[in-house]
Amino acid sequence: MGDPILLGCLATVILPLLAFAIIMIFTWRHHKLSLAISLVASTIPLIIAWIFFFKLAGLKQPIIYQFDWLISDQVKVPFGFLLDPTSLLMLVIVATISWLVQVYSIGYMGGDPGFGRYYAFLSLFAMSMIGIVISSGLLQVFISWELVGLASYLLIGFWYEKFSASEAGKKAFVVTRFGDIGFFIGLVFLTLYFGGLDIHSINTAAQTKAMPQWLLTTSALLIFCGVMGKSAQFPLHVWLPDAMEGPTPVSALLHSATMVAAGVYLMTRLFPLFAAAGPTALTIILAISTITLILSSTIGMVAWDIKQVWAYSTVSQLGFMSMGLAAAGLAGGTLFAGAFHLTTHAAFKALLFLCAGVFIHHFGTNDFFVMSAQGGRKLTIPMVTVTIAALALAGIFPFAGFFSKELILGSLAHLPNKIWLILGLLGAFLTAYYAFRVIFVMLFPRPKPPDWVQAQIDAAAGAGHGHGEEDTGHGHGHEAHHGVPLVMSLPLLILAFFTLILGFCQGWLEKFLLGESHPHDVDLVLLVAAVGCALGGMGVAWVDWGSSKARWEGFLRNFPVLENFFIQKWYMDHFWRWFLNSIIYGIFSKWFTYNDRRVVDGGVDAVALGTIGSGRLLSFIQTAFVQLNILFMVLVLAGLGIYLLMGR
Amino acid sequence: MLIFNQLSTYLYLALALFAIGLYGVLARRNLIAMLISIELILNAAMINFMAFNRFLAPHPAVGQVITLFIMAVAAAEAAIALSIIVAVYRKLKTINVEQATELRG
Repeated sequence: MGDPILLGCLATVILPLLAFAIIMIFTWRHHKLSLAISLVASTIPLIIAWIFFFKLAGLKQPIIYQFDWLISDQVKVPFGFLLDPTSLLMLVIVATISWLVQVYSIGYMGGDPGFGRYYAFLSLFAMSMIGIVISSGLLQVFISWELVGLASYLLIGFWYEKFSASEAGKKAFVVTRFGDIGFFIGLVFLTLYFGGLDIHSINTAAQTKAMPQWLLTTSALLIFCGVMGKSAQFPLHVWLPDAMEGPTPVSALLHSATMVAAGVYLMTRLFPLFAAAGPTALTIILAISTITLILSSTIGMVAWDIKQVWAYSTVSQLGFMSMGLAAAGLAGGTLFAGAFHLTTHAAFKALLFLCAGVFIHHFGTNDFFVMSAQGGRKLTIPMVTVTIAALALAGIFPFAGFFSKELILGSLAHLPNKIWLILGLLGAFLTAYYAFRVIFVMLFPRPKPPDWVQAQIDAAAGAGHGHGEEDTGHGHGHEAHHGVPLVMSLPLLILAFFTLILGFCQGWLEKFLLGESHPHDVDLVLLVAAVGCALGGMGVAWVDWGSSKARWEGFLRNFPVLENFFIQKWYMDHFWRWFLNSIIYGIFSKWFTYNDRRVVDGGVDAVALGTIGSGRLLSFIQTAFVQLNILFMVLVLAGLGIYLLMGR
Repeated sequence: MLIFNQLSTYLYLALALFAIGLYGVLARRNLIAMLISIELILNAAMINFMAFNRFLAPHPAVGQVITLFIMAVAAAEAAIALSIIVAVYRKLKTINVEQATELRG
């Protein structure tokens, strides 16, 4: 047991799992004890992750510990740990964010009757996410992947007494499963035709073209199906906005470091495979992520629920990341742009959600217009940090988002087809607009809000703090809160610090990930265009929402058709509802039900009924006249006797 | 008397007994009468065994052994049958076999 690295890997996975088991089986009634167990089980992985991050930096060869879990002829399915720069970076992100969320939740979830259960689920989530990050084989990744799905289902539907929450949990689970079917078929293809699921050897084979091209293309596209489900890419993005039904810290966890990032992380992990997948597959991926980017930013422009806005911004940023990865694959670039944006996004998106959580916790509503009217800007720390995060989201210098967005736009600019770059810039513009719509509304409340806002405020007041989704299961006692507790503001400050400095770590991170730092020739036109788009978005937001003459309507009000289209979320929910009703329920379910009723049940029934029927048919023999029976018996015996004695 | 020293005489006697017994089993409705008739059938069988033993295979007295055996079985059968009849009587207050129709199909 001498190897400290192996021990560390084991500890990061097993400790949270142990915490989950212990809390669920023994201590879930004791809130403080559960909290302590869970915190210990997340602090140790955090420390290990940071030690690994610094000690193992500059690693030339990946560190692999694995054994063959399943050997069948040529097929080998390995289990184990694979540590390379990508997974080390992600390990740090996951461990840090989940630790911060656990600390923050002390304040946010305090007093909830399900406190112990909540921490058990968080531990399960951390364990499965770390499992995805450091697994060495794709089957192991898939198992952790499904565990993440399970944990997110449990956490989204945490307040299960509420119908919408349990429905949202179910939706998240089913929709991501839908994509996972593709992922699993991809794994089957790789197993059948490549003969193994070891990530390192798959990547090596993809780089050296040791795999046939069709296999590369097919498996990359199929695995991307799983990514689409997990990372909420069009058209499977519909679960993510509904996932807001869970507690807000869960949203922060889900949206920054875990669940959704798992998809993009898988793309970076298998980047050589994707890069070798050929232009057709990459263009499909690029197109899907671009549609995702535009779709979700436009929906974000019209949402009034602060968590919905950030949810759609997550969807769009994920689209942006996979755009960056696909473009890098097409243009022969590196995975750095996508991975860097993943890193910065984890920091500022967690910050956005945790800030939103503070506001929601404080005001008992999700509507940022109502928050604004009730004096949201008086909460200084969250207001400042949310503004920093929004600046990063919009991609303003010197915040983290600026650097990573710049890199992705740079790799888009390398593509021969400039349409992707233009759409990317449009996405950046829209992102800045909707982010600062929230910020300006919160920062500059009206003494006399417009009628429709007043109506929403009245509705919220009428529901008496009961409007916010947070109030169903647990007594918050909003009156008791004055200011923000330290356990909630400390994570905000830490994340804000990361948001500020991460951008300047670009060169160092690149050296960490790729082993060498390329000097980036800064394309001045592109730089100006990107910053221009971001500032333009902010400017339009200022005109629409910020300045004292702004009418709080948004420029979209001039295009009612378009606005309605966005408010209806591009009718995607309608589409899926229709798809479910007419295709799944109408055709497949019908067939399966018919098969079940008629063939399976019918077969069993037919056997039973046949037995009963033949019994009825023969029951006339039982006449209840004993002597008749004896007579028959005698006659038959006599006949037999005659036959046997004389028939021969 | 020559007639008593012939196999066929005993076989006719057994046949007659068997026929009477069979008629009794089939025709009488009283369970005890049926039981007595069955005893007659058994007696017919025993006479057969004794007759065959006496006239065809005298040396090993297997026929006599089997006759004794049948007597024992008949005693047991009578005991069981009588207890069944008592049970039927307790349940139906009659021992008329036409009344015992609970198992009609």
